[in-house]
Amino acid sequence: MFIKPLFAALAGALMLATMPAQAIDITHDLGTTTVPDAPQRIVVLEYSFVDSLAAVGVAPVGIADDDRRESIIPTYTAVIGDDWTSVGTRKSPSLEVIASLQPDLIIADTSRHEAIYGALSEIAPTIAFDSLTGTYQTAMDAAQTIADAIGKGPEMAERLKTHAATMEAFKAEIGDVSGWSAQFIIDNGEAIFLHSPVSYNGSLLNWFGFTNNMPTPDGHSYEEAIVQTSLEQLSEINPQIIIRGKYADNALTDSWIGQPVYDAIAAVKAGNVFDVTAHEWSRLRGVLASEKSAADLVEIVKKLKR
Amino acid sequence: MPLTLRFVFLTAAVLACALLSLAIGPRSDVSLANVVQLLLVDDGSLARSAVVDLRLPRTLVAGLIGINLALAGLALQAVTRNPLASESVLGINQGAALGVAIGLVVPALVVVNPGVMAILGAILAGMVTLGIAGGLGGRLDSMRLVLAGVTVGAFSFALVRFTFTLEDNLARTMLTWTAADISAARLDQLLPLVGWALCGLVASMAMAHSFNILALGDGASHGLGVDPRRRRFAGAMLAAILTGASVAAAGPVMFVGLVMPHLCRLWFGPDHRVLVPAVALGGAGLVLAADVISKLVRFPYETPLGIICALIGAPYFLYATLRARSMA
Repeated sequence: MFIKPLFAALAGALMLATMPAQAIDITHDLGTTTVPDAPQRIVVLEYSFVDSLAAVGVAPVGIADDDRRESIIPTYTAVIGDDWTSVGTRKSPSLEVIASLQPDLIIADTSRHEAIYGALSEIAPTIAFDSLTGTYQTAMDAAQTIADAIGKGPEMAERLKTHAATMEAFKAEIGDVSGWSAQFIIDNGEAIFLHSPVSYNGSLLNWFGFTNNMPTPDGHSYEEAIVQTSLEQLSEINPQIIIRGKYADNALTDSWIGQPVYDAIAAVKAGNVFDVTAHEWSRLRGVLASEKSAADLVEIVKKLKR
Repeated sequence: MPLTLRFVFLTAAVLACALLSLAIGPRSDVSLANVVQLLLVDDGSLARSAVVDLRLPRTLVAGLIGINLALAGLALQAVTRNPLASESVLGINQGAALGVAIGLVVPALVVVNPGVMAILGAILAGMVTLGIAGGLGGRLDSMRLVLAGVTVGAFSFALVRFTFTLEDNLARTMLTWTAADISAARLDQLLPLVGWALCGLVASMAMAHSFNILALGDGASHGLGVDPRRRRFAGAMLAAILTGASVAAAGPVMFVGLVMPHLCRLWFGPDHRVLVPAVALGGAGLVLAADVISKLVRFPYETPLGIICALIGAPYFLYATLRARSMA
């Protein structure tokens, strides 16, 4: 009779189904967390985690998108669609909305969300990585760990290999820039903020071989990564290339044009001030974001007045 | 020490602080040795431009908000006859900050410009505080006055702090501004401040006599033909306007208005006709000194001015509170 093996197979299938899924332990910035096998309902609280998920084709159910859906750029929505629920701002995400999404994994930022880590953990297993003040390498390592946590480890390893090749190709195109000091700055109309060598953008520029004239800070706090700077300090740092992200139409740096100290800055004097999309450069970090920034850099180097 | 000599000393101290404020900065080609020459002689160098175009506006802004805030504090202490009164203790500073914050968050609500918003906020906060404390009718209760100020200040600043939770860029702008960072001060910010400081000085001098009479109590005021309510109202308005103008230019700088009138009373005596110029000079000196410190704490990067002033002012407030019984 064939009923017996069928029965056995059925019983086996039932056992498999009811058996607790294979959970794995993920070590992250705020401890070690047991994450269920292949979580399906993921909430992310920084843009760089959207990047990590998109890199392996996974869509989060909730994103702290600062209540602006357009902040998730087409590069990401092409992969993750636009079905996510906004859980509020990255700075103070709504715990209530997060809980209502019944997530099985939350990915948080170490410095931003340390204070609410306990509350997040009560909602779902929460893993945290230093997105805000981490370097390019930090973002790559986090991408791999996140992929491991969601059962996409091998896919990410593969993606990172492609990424490395892509970045090397960009680097080759950019060529030797070791004689150039480059500085990424954010101008919000009221003040300028320099991304130091320990910031994500600073480390990315260093990776391409650009030098940086800012003193390298010891730590990794937000104030050390993103440093508010006066015109006078900028003139002392005197970068040869300024990559500028403007958050205001009336940029403070534009109001400085004609002011001798500003005009004497190497980058300004040579006409090597280049505008990039502030949102993409200053807020997005990760595999896809860095490839986008690298493409921008290729264009910048082409226009460089030597 | 004769009065003139005391003024000479104070003026010298203010000038010394101003010179230090001009000489200290990230550029290595400007120092105490050549700053005066750079200031006076246009040699077309970048160092000259850094001193005249970048540092001078900032130094002047520091000095002028010092004058405004100290005079506001003096007026408030005179009209309330309370040594703890000052624009930060009475919530006026925070009210001005709220005015600017509302303007930044909801641009549609801005009346004229952020400066006017700050002044409106300051006036409103001052009216509410004095209203709670018993109005201008002379029944001002010290305890109620300070408590009302704390309430108004806490409420206003809670709303200001709410903006920190908003979108990153807006939050950062507000945070920079509430820490009273003046490193980006420009020449065009100076004109209104100069105007307000001059008006403040003239108005304070004009009111000095009635401040003296108010100090004698309401009965004596009436006897001397001075309507205490009208004078109180004028003094409070002056304080609110001067505070608002300073807050709009630099952000909420705390405690200057509390500390300076006290120190000057110790050194120059209780006569407001002497106190007004002394307090104005002292206020400028105090904020200039704070500016120098703000450049040195984390050299070559800067610590916002507001933080330094609070670090100087808070312990003094404690000292004044502990001594308040004997002073009042």
